[in-house]
Amino acid sequence: MFTTGSKFYIALTALSVVSFAVYMILINPSSIGATALFGLVAVGILLIWMALYTRDAEHVSEAESGANAAVPSPSMWPLVAVVGVVSMLIGTITSEVVFVLGMVTVLAAFVEWMIQAWADRASGEPAYNASVRKKILNPIEFPVIAALGLGVIIVSFAQIMLAVERSAGAVIFMVLASWLLAVGTLFALRPSLKKGIVTTVAVVGSVGLVAGGVLATGAGLRPELVEAAAEGHYTHRDCGPEKSKYGDKLPLEAVSARSGVIATVELIEGKLVVSAQGIPGPQDSITIARSNPSSILFRNKSEGEYRLVAVIGSTEVAEGVTKVDEVCTQLIENGMEQILTLTLPKPTVNGGEFYLFVPGLAGQQVELVVPL
Amino acid sequence: MTSTPSHLDRVLNRLGRVLRNPNFLALSGLAVLGGCASNAPQDTWAPGGPNAQIIDDLQRPVFAVAGIIGLIVVAAVVYAIIKFRDRGQPIPEQTHGKPALEITLTIIPALILTVVGVFTFRTVFDLSRTDDTEMIINVTGQQWWWEYDYPVQTEFGIDKPIITSGQLVFPVGTKVMLRQTSRDVIHSYWIPKLNGKRDAVPGRVHLNRLEADAPGIYAGQCTEFCGLSHANMRMEAVALSKDDFAKWVQGQLSGYQAPAAGSLAKQGEEVFLNQCVRCHQINGLTRADGSLAIAAPDESMVSGVAPNLSKLMTRNTFAGAMFDLLTPQCRADVWGSSSQDVGEKYLRGVSQDCLNQTDLRGWLRNAPEMKPMYANPALLTSTGGKYRGMPYLGLSETDIEKLVAYLLTLK
Repeated sequence: MFTTGSKFYIALTALSVVSFAVYMILINPSSIGATALFGLVAVGILLIWMALYTRDAEHVSEAESGANAAVPSPSMWPLVAVVGVVSMLIGTITSEVVFVLGMVTVLAAFVEWMIQAWADRASGEPAYNASVRKKILNPIEFPVIAALGLGVIIVSFAQIMLAVERSAGAVIFMVLASWLLAVGTLFALRPSLKKGIVTTVAVVGSVGLVAGGVLATGAGLRPELVEAAAEGHYTHRDCGPEKSKYGDKLPLEAVSARSGVIATVELIEGKLVVSAQGIPGPQDSITIARSNPSSILFRNKSEGEYRLVAVIGSTEVAEGVTKVDEVCTQLIENGMEQILTLTLPKPTVNGGEFYLFVPGLAGQQVELVVPL
Repeated sequence: MTSTPSHLDRVLNRLGRVLRNPNFLALSGLAVLGGCASNAPQDTWAPGGPNAQIIDDLQRPVFAVAGIIGLIVVAAVVYAIIKFRDRGQPIPEQTHGKPALEITLTIIPALILTVVGVFTFRTVFDLSRTDDTEMIINVTGQQWWWEYDYPVQTEFGIDKPIITSGQLVFPVGTKVMLRQTSRDVIHSYWIPKLNGKRDAVPGRVHLNRLEADAPGIYAGQCTEFCGLSHANMRMEAVALSKDDFAKWVQGQLSGYQAPAAGSLAKQGEEVFLNQCVRCHQINGLTRADGSLAIAAPDESMVSGVAPNLSKLMTRNTFAGAMFDLLTPQCRADVWGSSSQDVGEKYLRGVSQDCLNQTDLRGWLRNAPEMKPMYANPALLTSTGGKYRGMPYLGLSETDIEKLVAYLLTLK
């Protein structure tokens, strides 16, 4: 009753059902992984039905197919599949990543194994069978291997950059870039260079980078990153004293953020100067559309560290007691800048309810107008 | 001897039959005649201001050149298809490479594109100028209407901000800079007779120049698909003479006139305070205790705003300029007037006789029925119960009567 193909698909589907169940119960019942595994189960059932219905397409005689012409070649894929299965099992009690990696390994191993087994039966000529296998799998294998290799190199490089001091990181980046440029130029100018030399240089470079990445991973992140991450201090907008010297003041300098600002507030030698996008000349106030997130860029061009504070109303915290609501940038060094994004759902009714100021600068306020 | 017609012959015969078909001819004729429409308020070939004129000056020669080249190419292709069609003749000698011809056919388009490119860049830079701005208007798009706020500009008599919607009013012969943004999704502002289109993007300010040569009302349309009622997100730019614009500003800044006690309008004011002020602002409107009634649209609208209805009856449209506040006859009187008269007629606003009661009452009765909006409370889980557009309020006919009377006083 059961054909060879159907048995194979039954086993594959059973494995998928188990994986799906384990994933649903132990990992994450609502994630995309569960959807993918369920899809695998559905595909497996479809393939079982097709194999049974067509009796494995046995209209081709064994003599024509050459199925028994040669013994299938030895394969490493069963071993890889076992590693994947074990990883899946380990993943159920360790982490989702390990489970998913195991699952991907099992799937890849099955695909490779199936294609290889099929190609081994294509003819009685091993060389032809190998070419059939390559024709099908190489277009998949090469990009995947290249992507994996590139990923390993990128991760290694990132690990190195995260481990070393920022200043050293810049130097390493320049040295590596120069080295890459030099080697690339050499290869381009000397196309007749021996293949062995090119291979050696590429392998040594890649291995060196990966080894550096492994060492850097072992060394861990540089202290400031560890401490800043532990404090969760990257995006704080509290208006009190700085909680940490590790606050990251750079990420909001992105071009997209800068080009989206409605106004720029500059502290030039102790004086606040406001310019609004599209309006010629300095401004006394900034108009903000109601309920519309609006970004204001604060740039410090004075000696010392300053922050921009936005007063955006008040809240009654107790009977008859109100608290002024403020939003702040971090303390900005001379020459640095940061963006403050405000959303003001209530309009200014009497004027002067909302304003910007810089602590330490007396008598300088910039009114925020939210038209009624 | 008979020969079997080739596939191309069959196709050409079929094409010939289609071209001779009276229905096809009639439809083609209608399409061509459609281009001759005189009542085309969004005609892209009829500039009404210097910015649109700059675009027109570029597009006409480019269109002519591209059209001529297109005709030549099509004629050559058709000639080659017919002349060299397969009649069973042997394949002619194949050649490869004609350097002189290839170079010529590369250089000529390159030269044409270079010339077009130079003039295009010049146009782009001209339309991006900001140094000659005379007036600023902030334009904010949301589903599915435009809000205009005029920041303080004492040179135009604007000594406190003005907010309006639907119709952008500006002085003629003045270089206006629109600072465009959006509260929800990407919209695009386009008054074809005054300038090209410019996207309004959340979190960004895009600049758009506007200037009209003569007083008039210029129609536009949101041109970036923005959801259910994108097609109904219209706008009108009203260019007034400088004197008329000063009157308009004066009118917009004038104080709130409460309806007379005991009048139907006064009862409408109460209905407004109970129902409408949750989202719609009317500047100067006070509650019974004397406190200012401040709308809180942020509590029920996804965009966080609803149109400010102060001076509603000085506008000609409502609901994102989808409906006229004027009856067809009165609207035709304003829109059809000469540039000398349009300002005076526009400033009259909406009188009781001219009020389009049908649409206004219909809107108050059941807004989502008149304009597609996400306003079904049962389907707002993804927005936390907040609406995109005006919901059904369940107003009684009596309340509608009162509200209409009240809204008519908002001048």
